[in-house]
Amino acid sequence: MPVAATRMPGQRWYTPYLFALPALVLFGVFFAWPAVTAIQLSVLHYDVVSPPTFAGMDNFTRMLGDERFWKSLLNSVLFLIGMFPLLVVLPLLLAVLVNQKVPGIRTFRMLYYLPVVTSMVAVGVAWEYVFHQQGVLNWMLTAFGLLDQPIQYLLDPFWALPALVLVEGWKSMGFYMMIYLAGLQTIPTSLYEAAKVDGAGAWVRLRRITVPLMAPYIAVAFTMEMLDSMQAFTSIYVMTRGGPQDATLTLGYYIWSAAFEHYEMGYASAMGLVLWVLMIGMAVLNHRVNKGQAVVA
Amino acid sequence: MILRRAGTYILLTAIALAFVGPFLILLSAGLKPSHQAVFSFPPDVIPRPPVLDWVIEAWTSIPFPQYMWNSVIYVAITVPAYLIVSALCAYPLAQMRFRGRNLIFFAILSTMFLPSEVMLIPRFMVVSQLSMADTFAGVILPGILSAFGIFLLRQTFAGVPREIVDAARTDGCHELRIFWHVMLPAARPTLAILAIFGFISVWNSFLWPLVVLKDSAKYPIALGVAYLAGITGTDVRSLAAGTILSIVPVVVVFMLMQRHVLEGMRGAVKG
Repeated sequence: MPVAATRMPGQRWYTPYLFALPALVLFGVFFAWPAVTAIQLSVLHYDVVSPPTFAGMDNFTRMLGDERFWKSLLNSVLFLIGMFPLLVVLPLLLAVLVNQKVPGIRTFRMLYYLPVVTSMVAVGVAWEYVFHQQGVLNWMLTAFGLLDQPIQYLLDPFWALPALVLVEGWKSMGFYMMIYLAGLQTIPTSLYEAAKVDGAGAWVRLRRITVPLMAPYIAVAFTMEMLDSMQAFTSIYVMTRGGPQDATLTLGYYIWSAAFEHYEMGYASAMGLVLWVLMIGMAVLNHRVNKGQAVVA
Repeated sequence: MILRRAGTYILLTAIALAFVGPFLILLSAGLKPSHQAVFSFPPDVIPRPPVLDWVIEAWTSIPFPQYMWNSVIYVAITVPAYLIVSALCAYPLAQMRFRGRNLIFFAILSTMFLPSEVMLIPRFMVVSQLSMADTFAGVILPGILSAFGIFLLRQTFAGVPREIVDAARTDGCHELRIFWHVMLPAARPTLAILAIFGFISVWNSFLWPLVVLKDSAKYPIALGVAYLAGITGTDVRSLAAGTILSIVPVVVVFMLMQRHVLEGMRGAVKG
């Protein structure tokens, strides 16, 4: 249809642009301009106090030799791997569980969703009580004989990262569950009934019906899980500050710390660009692998 | 059958306990009198007797009411602005044809792939250059544009039958009137969902205010709680009480609106 065909009286050529104008201004000022600035900053030395100087590729070569950068990258990847079962696999099982039509199921869904609506700060504080040396977790594990000695999870270089993964995963699980629930409700129940008649057990129905039909939703959850994990920050800020011994120093936290604790804006921006490229790369890769089955933008 | 049903409920309840438990532990710690240990083997969770001392202490040891009020202001300005800007932008994207329509749509969608840590530094510099560092405007303005909001409203507006819009146009209706009298009423459920999600996200916002604000008098509540947690010597009971207090408004809104939130999420995924 030609452009003019739907232009009615009262609509001038600039009308659509006027409607979009506030959004476009905000896009320009708070997204496009900063994005360009981020790229500029990455080739500068800038400590906020003195004027910026040109750094060439310094910030990027520095990264190659910076052990903390590699450590933070490794931690981010470990974070991402650790979150996979918590946000891609378990929520699917939860969704199957809360998709049953039993009285009161809405209340359970709401309770599972509760951590999603509370702030990460509050969640971090709450879990510090759970992880306490004399806290509930240590008590349960020792009572069941799984531990001899209580562990100080957040002060232990081995346990701190898994502990944070658990907290972040726990907080978002309900959100992913709802994504899957939306998908499950598109599957006709007749499929399951037919399978039952054929004598298929619960596990077979899950593997042969649920998982294949849920593939697009699993792809979406996976993409979101990757983007979420790479951006984890607040839990680390509240609970460990990247410690102990950099055990929970993720790329996102290192960037923040370089910029706002050490005022190395150029270096932090260069690392930010690496994070950016990684995230886009992962999203594109995932899209390719799933052949664009994703249903959510 | 009954056994199976019972098993289902036991499982559902156990999982619910895992999701609510940490909050209950906070609640218990925040209500315990000072002579009762917060941590012990086995856990001693029932406060004997429950006291409000720590709630009062949290409320007064930091400017708690001020932080709550700040968050109310942040929500009261950001959420309506976000709804209006999103709706205004979504309307032509859904119902008009013009040059650059796809370009605008994809530019806005692309903002979803800008990681927050990457944008933090340059956005802080932009805000500083606009002399908005350490101001309410600096906290609010960058949070108004939301790809999610525009995306969802565009879907909703696109569902309004073309004939209704065209009929209104032939009658000589101004576009702004169509927007106001046809589009917005049709999108009421979507707007409600976006308002609730907006409320939750602004109430919980942490990273951006942390970067932009120097003056603690402008802190939103989440930053206030982190500040309370960072003060050495804060009693664990007082911190627990303050943390619980900080999430009460958002939990209450969620409980009241949970039907909309959960239904809305499903709508968003399907959309």
